[in-house]
Amino acid sequence: MAADKSEVLQGTLDLMILKTLHALGPLHGFGIARRIEQLSDDVLTLNEGTVYTSLLRLQQKSWIASEWGVSENNRRARFYRITKRGLKQLAIETENWERISGVIGRVLALETKVEP
Amino acid sequence: MMDRALVFLARLKALFLRSSDDAAFDNEVEAHLEMLAERYQSQGMDAAEAKRAARRQFGNVTLLTQKRKEARTTMFFSNVARDLRYGVRQLVKTPVFTLVCVLTLALGVGANTAVFSVMHAVLTKMLPVHDASRVVYVHTSDLPDGAHNTGDFNTSFSYAAYREFREHSGLQEVIGYIPMSSSGKAPVRVGVLPEEAAGDMVSGNYFSGLGVGVEQGRGFVQKDEDDHAAVTVISENFWTSHYAHSPDVIGKTLLIKSHPFTIVGVAAKGFEGTEGRIPLDFWIPLQSDPEFNAWGNPAVDGTYLTLPTFWCIRLLARIPDGVTQEQALAKAQGIFQQVAYLGIAQKRAGERVPQLSFFPAKQFDGQDESFARSLKTLMAMVGLVLLIAMCNIVMLLMARNANRQREFSIRLAIGAGRKEIARQLLTESFLLVTLGGVTAWIFALGATRALGAWAQIDSNLQPDSVVLWFTLCVLMLSALVFGLAPLRAAISSGPEMALRSSATASQVTTRNVRTGNIVIVMQVAMCVVLLVGAALLMGTLRNLMNIPLGQKPEGVLVFGVRPQHIQSKEESIAFFGNLQQRLRTIPGVEAVSFAANRPGSGWSSNNGGLRVDGHKPNGVEPKEAYYRHNTVGSDYFRTMGVPVLQGRDFSDADSATAPPTVIVNETFAKKYLGTVNAVGHVLSNSKGLRPRLIVGVVKDHKYTGITEETRPMHWTVFMQEDLENQLNVEMRVQGDPMAMLPTVRRFMHEIDPDMPLLEPMAQSEVFRLSISQQIMFARLAGCFGVLAVVLISTGLYGTLSYRVNRRNAEIGVRMALGAQRRQIVWMVLRGSLLLTAVGVVIGVPAAIAASKGIESSLYGVKALDVVSYLFAIAGVTIVALAASGLPAGRAGSVDPSTALRAD
Repeated sequence: MAADKSEVLQGTLDLMILKTLHALGPLHGFGIARRIEQLSDDVLTLNEGTVYTSLLRLQQKSWIASEWGVSENNRRARFYRITKRGLKQLAIETENWERISGVIGRVLALETKVEP
Repeated sequence: MMDRALVFLARLKALFLRSSDDAAFDNEVEAHLEMLAERYQSQGMDAAEAKRAARRQFGNVTLLTQKRKEARTTMFFSNVARDLRYGVRQLVKTPVFTLVCVLTLALGVGANTAVFSVMHAVLTKMLPVHDASRVVYVHTSDLPDGAHNTGDFNTSFSYAAYREFREHSGLQEVIGYIPMSSSGKAPVRVGVLPEEAAGDMVSGNYFSGLGVGVEQGRGFVQKDEDDHAAVTVISENFWTSHYAHSPDVIGKTLLIKSHPFTIVGVAAKGFEGTEGRIPLDFWIPLQSDPEFNAWGNPAVDGTYLTLPTFWCIRLLARIPDGVTQEQALAKAQGIFQQVAYLGIAQKRAGERVPQLSFFPAKQFDGQDESFARSLKTLMAMVGLVLLIAMCNIVMLLMARNANRQREFSIRLAIGAGRKEIARQLLTESFLLVTLGGVTAWIFALGATRALGAWAQIDSNLQPDSVVLWFTLCVLMLSALVFGLAPLRAAISSGPEMALRSSATASQVTTRNVRTGNIVIVMQVAMCVVLLVGAALLMGTLRNLMNIPLGQKPEGVLVFGVRPQHIQSKEESIAFFGNLQQRLRTIPGVEAVSFAANRPGSGWSSNNGGLRVDGHKPNGVEPKEAYYRHNTVGSDYFRTMGVPVLQGRDFSDADSATAPPTVIVNETFAKKYLGTVNAVGHVLSNSKGLRPRLIVGVVKDHKYTGITEETRPMHWTVFMQEDLENQLNVEMRVQGDPMAMLPTVRRFMHEIDPDMPLLEPMAQSEVFRLSISQQIMFARLAGCFGVLAVVLISTGLYGTLSYRVNRRNAEIGVRMALGAQRRQIVWMVLRGSLLLTAVGVVIGVPAAIAASKGIESSLYGVKALDVVSYLFAIAGVTIVALAASGLPAGRAGSVDPSTALRAD
């Protein structure tokens, strides 16, 4: 495995899926996987199957809903969309993420104290 | 929290929608893989390679499906299923343990449920009427002077007072009802055979005022009461048993006391009248016919409608909305104290004014204090039994789980979480409790019926939802206790224990031993309490059974006879005289007589006012000379087997035209004449009127029941009395009195086909019934005591033998070092005897406190009866010795080399 690729950070997949659905509207699992891959510029290695575990989790929490539809290449596919509850959660998690990444960023920005 | 709930619900849903959902998911994954493969193909890979790449990119499909399944239906359920299977295997592996636990639980919980359901029905269940909290029973404290009554003085009111009270009391409804007779029953006929049915004569607002609906037809209206209409409402039970639930019962005729009544309604299911003791079969509006006089009394001087001094009607009231019970009572009090004196000459100076009081409309009018106390005592006893039972099961579980210590350790070592072990223990205890609970409920259903029979209650005892909740709560609590109690011990051992050698590892820790000791001591103490209680009550029982009755009720048959059409004294004398002659001709009949009040039934006539030979009786004021009275037939004392000390028995010669005679008992003669030689003296009432010659003195004997104290009493014959419209036939026969019953029935049917035999039974049974409550109470308490002892001894045996087993290695070492068998046995016995002694020291004061509580239920035994205490102490000591003797013996025969090699 290439050294410059990194695993998806724990817990962030849910957030990414929510955001993707929010930005692009209803999508099937394949579409979501493509979109995340695209956005990551192939930095992330995504076991595409894990998308489904995440989708199931989100669905159980009623943050997303699903219905059967027909894909662009005429295939039967399940389309997922974000729910009101999901929107609220997305806002919360986004804020959380920003706060944490801010903190981490500040920590990392600390200048190295040079030992005399 | 919300999220968790949502996830749980989603998983629950998924559990049931599994298959179609699974297929859909597989499709989804399949589609994804194909799309991915197509994408790779479009990038230039060949089909097979694209497919492989897609699979690689997608990840492990099987693992995903698996994960998804777990997430979907939650591990919880599959784990529980696994735990259940494991638990069942564990229980099956130790069948004796399981059986003991289940039976112990069943007995403990079942007995509690049964006693609780009777207590609940008797003490707290409300009448099944609309808004029962606003309905009250109306009681009074005193009768105005000059009034008299048939039933209890504090529940009887005059009809006149009732009418006025109803108009002016300010209560929303005042509802009156009168039982058909002192037994509550009246002869009825649906088909050919006459029988007795329980009924009340009620006011027109009875059903509407109580808010009781009907299954069919209608309830009563005011016009029914005002017109004394010949209509009746029957109970749902009677409808089912006598009319097979037929919808066209309305309009049919029911013969009550040979009078035709038209059935106009069937009362709502579950409503069986008020006061609860006997479920009612029918209701009729207040009647004016003399034959329907209140309580079936002869209407010689008038009926309850015309005699304001006859207090006989019972009252219920509905408090108006927006008024508190106290306000309503205060207002009603004033009105009542005026209307109470309606038709009574005048209030005498210094007379106690009757006070009204309201009692909640419970299924049972809460008067019988002693009964409630007995029930509460029983509840406390079965509560103790349950506590003991639970202690036992906990100890058994601890002992068993201690043997499983290694199993737990290994499981912990190979990665099981503490949570898993806790869940498994809880699952096992849940299994046990479920098994025990089901058995307990079945047991409780039967036991409730038995208790109902004890209390002589026929109606509405079936455990209801409150009882079910009670039982479930007890069971839930047990499940938690049983699951959690052994938990600490189970997981405290930690994984490292699996690696240690068994004997050292299984050494009981000091703390465990101490906890065990406390439990044993408490059990012994409780055992002492229960044994003392049981011994005292058994003593009571023995005393009750051995009370001399002063008569020979064996071989005597008794039944009531109520000829319907007797209007005068002459007719009554002719009818009963003739009946006596004819009954005497039946082969096997030795003697026949009558009694107005059936001896042993609790009924008695109590009178005051007496002169002897025209003077003060032996220094007592004539008005203050109280005595009991019964009206009987000729040959009475011979029939009943009562010895005549002086003079003679009544004979057929004591007719209406002969000089009036009276027979007195020993106590009467001693108290009012100062000597047993009373024959020849003349008794008269306090004014010196109605003189009667004493012709006999009989030995003291029991009249109202077995436990009564002897009182001055006299008897007269019915031929020399007023109209008697109902008498009990007393019949001494050869052999079993009940065997004579069919013959007598045939005989009576020839005399009058409409006349049922009223409550026929053996006379000895009447007396036995008079103490049936005490007998049953003593027996139950005895049973619970014995049950507790059995539980405790099995518990002690289990614990002690388990302890000895664990000390095998130690004992082996001791023996190897030269300890004698005797010493080993003594060492084990000494331990348990010491614990027993401590238990006794704690138990005796507790038992003293408890026996003070049941003092009122005792008869002829003192609460501090030394013998009972010694018995109890001896009892627990024997139990402890037996329980530890066996394991001690086993310990003594431990072969040191085997014991040591086992490690």
